Amino acid sequence: MTTENNKVIGIVCERSVDFAGKLDDNGYLLDNPAVKIIQVPCSGQIQPIMLETALKNGASGTFAVGCRMGDCHYREGNKFCRERLIGKRMPKLKPSVDKRRVEDYWLSALEYDKLSDMVSQFVVACNQLPSPAAAKKP
Amino acid sequence: MYTDPLQKATLWIEKGLNTLFSQRYNPFYYHGALPNFFIWALFLSGLLLFAYYQPTLANAYASVHYITYELPFGNLFRAMHRYASDGMMIFVILHMLRVWFTDRYREYRILPWVTGVILLTITFIIGLTGYLMIWDQEAVTLANITFNLLKSLPVVGAPVAEALMAGKVISDYTLTRFMFLHLGIPLFMMFMLWLHYLRITRPVSEPPLPLVVMMAGGLFIVSSILPVGLGVLPYGAHDAGAAPLLSGLGSVSSEVYFDLLYAWPQYLAAQNVPPVAVLLLVLAVPVGLLVLPYLQKKALRGQFAQVARENCTGCSLCYQDCPYEAITMVDRGNDGTRFKRLAVVDAGRCANCGLCVGACAFKAIEIPRRETSSVLAEIEASLLSSTT
Repeated sequence: MTTENNKVIGIVCERSVDFAGKLDDNGYLLDNPAVKIIQVPCSGQIQPIMLETALKNGASGTFAVGCRMGDCHYREGNKFCRERLIGKRMPKLKPSVDKRRVEDYWLSALEYDKLSDMVSQFVVACNQLPSPAAAKKP
Repeated sequence: MYTDPLQKATLWIEKGLNTLFSQRYNPFYYHGALPNFFIWALFLSGLLLFAYYQPTLANAYASVHYITYELPFGNLFRAMHRYASDGMMIFVILHMLRVWFTDRYREYRILPWVTGVILLTITFIIGLTGYLMIWDQEAVTLANITFNLLKSLPVVGAPVAEALMAGKVISDYTLTRFMFLHLGIPLFMMFMLWLHYLRITRPVSEPPLPLVVMMAGGLFIVSSILPVGLGVLPYGAHDAGAAPLLSGLGSVSSEVYFDLLYAWPQYLAAQNVPPVAVLLLVLAVPVGLLVLPYLQKKALRGQFAQVARENCTGCSLCYQDCPYEAITMVDRGNDGTRFKRLAVVDAGRCANCGLCVGACAFKAIEIPRRETSSVLAEIEASLLSSTT
């Protein structure tokens, strides 16, 4: 049985924002220890179910990070991921998911600082939200 | 990840362009589509030139002179044709450099790369024949250099030079041949472009409208304020129809100006480098580009997406989303399931990118280097470990 905690899970394209030297041994952001970073080869691989799983298991928020729109190494990964998150492409994020707890960022490898700022704001925003309904379910 | 300085440099340039043009209209994000804009610009501006150009020794120069100085808007169209060809070369080379620097040119992208090198080469030849058609002294010099360089190559050189010259000497047929090549090779280019796009699902072949307007406007403004001139009549051609005398490579004079792309063989030849060496250097460029992908160690090492037959429902979402046409839907036969079709991955085309994984809602397709279960396990583990 999980309970709500203040963690935010980010699923990140390994070719977008460069986290080299920014993570601790367990994959948490050194700048913001509430944020766990999980890397995948391309944001196109991110299934909505991954973000849903994070929320279902008690994360207070979750986000996807991919490259700048227009510059996916595999051509269309970031575009497809974004379309899935906003419900324009199958498989979609479940409508029941609290959209306030889901974010997406599309930044290049050079833009860690930008991401760090935005994620910090997101973490604060998530923690101000009322207790997530999703956390009630085991 | 980004230890490669070339890749990092590209990202820096793009970051700058993103602030300048906004991410939506960043020309670097349409590097492959922009040459298509120039193909259209060249086709349309070339139509008018084609209507007035006369491919004979006596009239070629005169007809270009007429277009340039007498025909209404003739100079504008000629300038647009010239500057669009410059734009074409610039963006085609940028396109090549970007896919090279960002490592998007090998393994599963080998067909676009090889056809791209061929396209680059024929774009260069189209540009060369375009220069030659003007048939002023510069063009004659360039023809002189080209023929002599080709003839310097044993066995194959002379026939190729004769094919380009349409005979053993320069005649009216030479200019007809130049025009034939200048108009015919672009048709071959269309065929190569088809091959270029063949392995690419949904190729970005058109730049967005604002970028087209910007490029067209820029081309129009540049062509209006910088009219193109015409060199002098070829020496010795003052009696109409006389073929200019072709001499050795040493005849290159300093007043002759060509694009940088066409200038360096001429420069080398003027430095008394043997013609064969110059020609081989020129040929080494496309050959070098062709072998480039094979010089690197393979990144994928034979990995490709794996379909779990028992989970695949034949929904074809992965097939639709695959950016490289690597997935086909086949009849699965009577295998005891109620589904009719099955996704099959072509190992040679697969980029191992995982876009199909993102498209699959049934855990039926995986890439070996990052299984979905490992991602989900990592999510769950991180949330369990720090439960408060």
